Parts: sequence; C-alpha cells; structure tokens
Amino acid sequence: MKALDNHDARRQSLAVKILLYALMTLVAVILIFPYAFMVSKSLMSHEEVVDPTIKLLPAVPLFSNYAELFSDSGYGMGFLHTFIIVGVNCVIIPLSASFIAFSFAKLDFIGKKVSFAVMLGTMMLPGAITQLSLFAIYAKLKWLNTFWPFIIPNLFGGGALYIFLIRQFMLGIPRDMDNAAKIDGANAFVRYWSIILPLCKPVLIYVVVNVFISYWGDYYGPLIYMRSSNAPKTLAQVVFESAVDENVATDMANIRMCGGVIMSVVPAILFAFFQKQLIEGVVLTGLKD
Amino acid sequence: MKNPSAKIKKLVRKSRTGWLFNLPLTVGILLFTFVPVIISLYDSFFSYDGLNERTWAGLNNFIRIFGGSESLHVSGDKEMKKIVVNTLVYTALSIPVNLIASYFLALLVNTALKGVSCYRVIYYLPCMIPAVASGLLWADMFDNTFGVFNKLLGFFGLGPYDFFKNEDLRAILSIVLMNMWSIGGGMILWLSAFKNIGKHYYEAAVLDGANAWDKLIHITIPMSSAMIFYNMIMSVIGTLQYNGTLTFGTRQGRGPENSLYMYGVKIYYEAFVRGKIGYASALAWVMLVVIAAITVVLFRTSGWVFYAEDNN
Repeated sequence: MKALDNHDARRQSLAVKILLYALMTLVAVILIFPYAFMVSKSLMSHEEVVDPTIKLLPAVPLFSNYAELFSDSGYGMGFLHTFIIVGVNCVIIPLSASFIAFSFAKLDFIGKKVSFAVMLGTMMLPGAITQLSLFAIYAKLKWLNTFWPFIIPNLFGGGALYIFLIRQFMLGIPRDMDNAAKIDGANAFVRYWSIILPLCKPVLIYVVVNVFISYWGDYYGPLIYMRSSNAPKTLAQVVFESAVDENVATDMANIRMCGGVIMSVVPAILFAFFQKQLIEGVVLTGLKD
Repeated sequence: MKNPSAKIKKLVRKSRTGWLFNLPLTVGILLFTFVPVIISLYDSFFSYDGLNERTWAGLNNFIRIFGGSESLHVSGDKEMKKIVVNTLVYTALSIPVNLIASYFLALLVNTALKGVSCYRVIYYLPCMIPAVASGLLWADMFDNTFGVFNKLLGFFGLGPYDFFKNEDLRAILSIVLMNMWSIGGGMILWLSAFKNIGKHYYEAAVLDGANAWDKLIHITIPMSSAMIFYNMIMSVIGTLQYNGTLTFGTRQGRGPENSLYMYGVKIYYEAFVRGKIGYASALAWVMLVVIAAITVVLFRTSGWVFYAEDNN
C-alpha cells in the first residue's frame, strides 16, 4: 500500500514539474518574441517588411541592412558622441561617487547625518522640477548643444543612488584595515585611494556598468539639451528621431529596426557578462532605506 | 586626562577632512538641485520662455492649470482635463496590473527546479532594452497595417486594432499591455523579498496541514508586505511622471486626439515645444505636491505593512 502511495506521489510531482516547465517556457517565449522579431525584421528586405502576409523570418537574412544604416553618417557620428559621453562618465562618476561615499562611510564630521539625509531626499525629487531651470541656466552658460550638461553635473557624485550604494559597500569593509594604515600615519587621501578604493571593485563594477547602460540609452537628456540640428547628437537620439519621424517610408522599417537592434545589443551583452551583479544591484537599489 | 576643549578641537580637525571629502556633494546639490528648485518655484509665478525677460503672472499659471477663472480673466487650459484623466487611468491600471503580474511571475520561478535561474534571466532581459529601442519596436508591432500583432490577430479573424493610434482610452490600455513585457523588474524585487522569509514558517504551516494556497495567503503575502509597500510607493512616483509615450506615440507623444497625452509629456511639451518655462514650472510644482500628498497618504494608511524583525 505504502509503495503505491509513493509511486502516485512521484507521478503527481512529475506532472507538476512538467506543467511548471511548460508554463515557464511559454512565458519566456512570449517575453522574448518582440526582441527576437526585432532582430528578424532588421534582416528583412524592403519588400518583405511591407508584405501583408505574416512574415516572422526573412527569406534571406540581409546583413547589408546594417551597412545601409551606417551609410547615414548620423549613426556613425552618434556612436562617437555616445562613446565620448559614456566613456567620460564611466570614469568620473565612480571616482567622484566613491570619494563622497568615503566621507560617509569612513570619516566623522559635524553635519554628516544632515548631509546624508539631504542626499537621500534628492532621490525623491521629480526630475522635471530641476530640468526646466537647468535648461535656462545651461542656455545662459552657452552649454546647450555641447557635452557639458552630460558631464559637469557628474563631477559632483553623479547621483545619490551611486554614492549610497558605494557607502553601503564601504561600511562592510572591516575597520582594522584602515585603522592599521592610520597608525602608520597614512592620511585620509592615501587611505581612500590605496586601501579602500581597490577593495570596492565589485560595487564599482556595478556602478560603471549602470552608468554605461543609462547614458547609452538616454534619449531624454539629449532631446532637451541638444536641440539644434548641428548639435553633437548621441546614438540614442538619432534612433529616437528616426522612430518618431512620421514622414518616413514604411518600407524602411527594416533599417529602423537595425537601429533598435544596435541600441539593444550593447546592454544585452553587458547583462550577459554582469547579470549576477546587475540583478543583485536591482535588489540593493530596491532596499535603499 | 583630556580636557573638553581639546576634544572639540579634535572633532573640528576631524571634521575638516570629512567635509573636504563631502564638499563635491554639497556643492553639487547646491548648484544642480537647490538653486534650480528655487528658480523653478520662482519661475512658476511668471510668464517666461527661458531666454527673454520674465513677466509677473502672479497665480495665473496655477489658475490656468485648475480650469481658469472668468472673474480674473484667466482662461483655463483646455488640454488639462484629458491629461488628468489619462494620467489617472494609466496610474490606476498600470500599477496594480504590473505589481500583480510580476508577483505571480516571481511565484512561478520561486522554486528550486533545475534551470530556473535561466528563466529568471530571460524574464529580466526585456528590462535591459533601452526605451528608444522598445518604443521603436512597439510602435512597429502595433501598427494598423504592417504590425505583426494585427497580422497575427487577423489570422484568427480578429482586429485590426489601433493600439497606440486609438483616439480614446484604449490607447492607454495599449501601454498597460506593452508594460507587461517589463514585469521582470518587479519579479527580481519580489524574489529578494521571498528569500528573506524564514523556511520555518512554511515548515510549521505544513505540519498544520496548510496547502499551497494557504501558504501564499497567510505567509508569503504578509511576509513580503514591506516590499509590496515599497514597490507601490516607487511605482506611484514613477508612473505619475511617465513620459515614455514620446518614444512611440504620434504627435510628439500626445497621440491622436491627445489620447496618449499624460502629465509628464505635458511638462515637456509646454517647456520645450511651446517654450513656456514659467507655465511648465507651475505644472511641475503641482506634480510635486500631488506626489508628496499621495506618498503621505500611503504612509499614513500603511498599517497593513508587516515589518519582519529578523531577516535571517
């Protein structure tokens, strides 16, 4: 009797398992479909994209579509401008944010708690409140249509979230490590630069990857601050403009999709390499309080 | 024995180093947050295009937002009614739909089955796609004639549907549908909350004869209520500012007959297309007050939230 029960239970749990896998796979197919379709459509011919029948795959994948995309020099220059903004920010944000985080994690000063609370408070502020007057300020400084609005503000920490995350990480570094250096007479700068900073590598990687992804995909900043036709437009901005252009021919959808694929493939690759850090980071940023 | 003045001296000396490291933050917040916040509050009482002289407008900008006043000769903003309805409908639908869908997705992959972490990665992947790329993609997929959605629906004898090109609230529903592809973000947060629920609660429940449903209702949901609350607050703040329709909506994110027009795009449109920085600042301040009020109400009514005392 007992053996039979066991057998039934095992059969039942196998059925549940198969059901779960089937459900998970179905959800995965549905969630991935649009992005797979974007890749497929980017390889279709001009005739195929306007074909009224359902076409999920191109008859012959046309990789030349990507060459056609880059024959428009706007995309090549967009790449260059994006890399300048992304490259500079991937250096200055981790440096300035960790410098500030060091003051919160490893130093004592009058007003520390107030400063920290004010910093966290800025995270709740809607972006529109500051953007409108920053636009007017940047216009007066002649910063519009230059890289400055995307670089100068980031010399001051690059946002409360990054500072907060690095501080959390620094708090986890044992006190003895920099106490020993303190006894040896090392000043705060030496302790920051040669002891604490190298130990922060994991969180710095998270910050760099996130800075990369957010500036890579940023279309709204350029939309506001780089409005002139001869501004150094970013790739996201060029793709955005191609997407919202209502006069463009429908048979050019394949070329537009190439732009979308290029925009997506870079974060997707970064995600593949750093998925563990990124997912854990999402959890950390979700628990900031 | 140390005297107190030496102690204070020491703290001041220590403070000097601390402030030196903290200085970039203080200067940054002063220049790029405090000053702009105060200027935008100031601007909201003026008629101002961002470049030329400001003209005093008193409360006119605010009166305009709230429907105008005949006795004061201020006409109301005729777009506001539709914008408010769209924004509220979007917030009221999108937040619960997303929270619930991602919650169920998290429950689905909250198992120890082989390969389950692979599925989690796949579910999160759409969240990594930049807004421009997904906007471009969804505008294409939802197209009336060439879009793959309508072709597939046509295959089953349904449609064609207008999706984002609807002139009524169905346009907003299309955004809620599109957002279903990014429920992986919420899923990650729920999974981390589930991880913090002690196994002993479930073991005790099983001994009491609880089934899967009982465990969900009496353990998992109450024990993750802190995360539910946190997620709700952040979603409200984010959704009320939403301006993503810029990437896929016609007419610069406003849609046909303003069917996609929401508050975030309104601020953008007034400031950067119509050049009315003063009026846009007033709009932004009204939004800030509304968000702050909703946050306060949510905190005041958060008696249902259960904060676990030990997280191990």
